[in-house]
Amino acid sequence: MRMFKDLLGLEGLSPDEIRHILQTAKPMKDVLLRPVKKLPTLRGKAVYTLFYEASTRTKTSFEMAAKVLGADAVNIGVSQSSVNKGESLLDTAKTLQAMQTDLIIIRHSSSGAAGFLARHLEAGVINAGDGQHEHPTQALLDIFTMREKLGDLNGKKVIIVGDVLHSRVARSNVWGLTKLGAEVVLVGPPTLLPPEMSALGVKLSYDLDRELPGADVVMALRLQLERQQAGLFPSLREYSRSYGLDRARLRATGKDTLILHPGPMNRGVEIASDLADGPQGMVEEQVTNGVAVRMAVIYLLMGGTTNVVA
Amino acid sequence: MWWLKNVYAVDPAGFSGRRDILIRGGKIEANAEGLSPEEVAERAGREPVETLNGEGKYLFPGLIDAHTHLREPGQEAKEDIASGAAAAVKGGFTSVVTMANTEPPVDSRGLVEFVRAQGVRAGLARVYPLGTVTKGMRGQELVEMLDLKEGGAVGFSDDGHNIQNSEVMRLALEYAKLTGLPIVSHSEDENLARGGAMHRGKAAARLGLKGIPSSAETIMVARDLMLAAETGGKLHLAHISCRESVQLIREAKERGLDVSAEVNPHHLLFTDRDVDLFNTSLKVNPPLRSEEDQEALLVGLLDGTLDMLATDHAPHVWEEKARPFSEAPFGIIGLETALAAVWQQLVVPGKLSPERLAEAWSLAPARRFGLPGGTLRPGSPADLVLFDPEWRERITPDNLASKAQNTPFLGQELRGFPTMVWVGGETVLRGRRLYPAGEGVRRE
Ligand SMILES: [Zn+2]
Repeated sequence: MRMFKDLLGLEGLSPDEIRHILQTAKPMKDVLLRPVKKLPTLRGKAVYTLFYEASTRTKTSFEMAAKVLGADAVNIGVSQSSVNKGESLLDTAKTLQAMQTDLIIIRHSSSGAAGFLARHLEAGVINAGDGQHEHPTQALLDIFTMREKLGDLNGKKVIIVGDVLHSRVARSNVWGLTKLGAEVVLVGPPTLLPPEMSALGVKLSYDLDRELPGADVVMALRLQLERQQAGLFPSLREYSRSYGLDRARLRATGKDTLILHPGPMNRGVEIASDLADGPQGMVEEQVTNGVAVRMAVIYLLMGGTTNVVA
Repeated sequence: MWWLKNVYAVDPAGFSGRRDILIRGGKIEANAEGLSPEEVAERAGREPVETLNGEGKYLFPGLIDAHTHLREPGQEAKEDIASGAAAAVKGGFTSVVTMANTEPPVDSRGLVEFVRAQGVRAGLARVYPLGTVTKGMRGQELVEMLDLKEGGAVGFSDDGHNIQNSEVMRLALEYAKLTGLPIVSHSEDENLARGGAMHRGKAAARLGLKGIPSSAETIMVARDLMLAAETGGKLHLAHISCRESVQLIREAKERGLDVSAEVNPHHLLFTDRDVDLFNTSLKVNPPLRSEEDQEALLVGLLDGTLDMLATDHAPHVWEEKARPFSEAPFGIIGLETALAAVWQQLVVPGKLSPERLAEAWSLAPARRFGLPGGTLRPGSPADLVLFDPEWRERITPDNLASKAQNTPFLGQELRGFPTMVWVGGETVLRGRRLYPAGEGVRRE
């Protein structure tokens, strides 16, 4: 097993490395389910969150993961205003280097921002979403959730539907899932699924209903509503009719298909409430598993052995 | 007087072969197939003769770069005319055409004269300014083209921006006929290109970077060709990057349009597959395209559809490029590395002849922009480059004359460099060291 300083994406990881993280997340989840959720593992250490895009969910999940491991989670307040004042990511990296930080968790609107920080820092870096590039912990928690319910993903059919073009979640999931042998189909309207997305090496389709039969998992991507104003699709109504998930449509799979969504959901647009809140909906599982997976990643990057839980 | 003995002379306006060249009084005194010491002495008269053994070396007419951003006035932290002219000479360029997108833009005669004067003060390469097409580069009102020409402008360009208003572009092509100078077009549809960081294709899809489609260029190339056809104007298309553009230009030339075009070395040497999220020196506009585009560009250069090579030398401060890819500015420097890189990757493998290289990088821009140079004929100004194909040099921040370091060759060793450069008969580079002629030397 290679030793990593950072987790920047799943594209560069081997199947064994992905499995190793997922294995490590299992005992972490057990800890989470205990009444006293606290490990002394990383006591005295601090992880820093640096979120250039607002995301309460992801940030809270990382903070919780750090705290359960006994580390302090320090939020480095960045707002668009400090960016506008001209402080570059390079300046920030220099400051963080001077602070002797151990681990930085960054979310940034530019693809490559996490890798950029990692190159300029001795500290470890976790990519919590960089532009449209990768969001590795999201994909890891999705895959963890799928494996919990389905076991080995080899040969399982996973449909990812929505705004694939702009989605770092979709990219990371494609890399992770295909490395574990799953069959992935990307579905969306042509404007959100241009032909060059074939670079990801999986099937592309405009027709959700045709792809549904046999699907073990359907993952709806969050639709940024401003894409409609940008002209990428004509209306939410038409989008929802073609690509929105609901219980009736999902019968076509012929299975108890798992429904995943990275959240927050636009209910009634990409996913109907009856489906999201029903037994097939994994959204709450995903939240719990997110903390477990992030615990595993923080733990492994901070030099932990596989013998996690004392 | 200089006696260059037994050098392999490449004259795009004449013949190539082993020659003896004499330089005297700022001009090429003789270009002959072997001179005797008696003949040389006779030509020299009382002047002392410096003799140079040119065995194994090439002699080119001084290269002329039709597309450089020397950033002065206004952005001297990136580059200035003196540092840019030094970089030019180190790379074998005895003349550079400067783009007008400075701060303020070169949209008045006074600014044209300033740029020229700074070039003369630097005393290295000859500096020929382009003026803008429109006042303030706002794409609306035309500049005083006649006055700018009298001040020394050799063409007009709003490069850095496209003139989106087709009527303004049409008027520019019409009015510039009064000057006989070309309008240089930066062909880019801003709506199609907006927010893009690299070529729109599979590499961009994988990296999660917004792409700039080829159509952003080709639509404007097609438009400008149609306007040139309609007006009979003189059009030069800068930095052609995709195969569809090459085809459009080829057809336009077959129809007899007064159009020329350039290709940048980086588009011939790199593709979008070389782009990663961190090497921002490969973030250029127009972007590095696909391998098919690259092949079409080389074919276009070889068959003359693309008349000339030009670096689009675009320096930036290091910190500006030390950003995530999508936030870094576009641009690559090329003056000091382009000849070596093209030589190594295209000439040595036999894809490009030394003759076509010299033609595309000296004679073609000289003719298009009305500049002296581009030939080794006796009587021509002695703007010359002695090129040693074996000279190796590592590209480091310390040995770059440019203020900028945004080159993908940083840290690499390149092979094939100029070891002597003359401008107007004066030695400005000798053994890779610069000899600026300094203020007061008149080069008109
Ligand atoms: Zn340009």
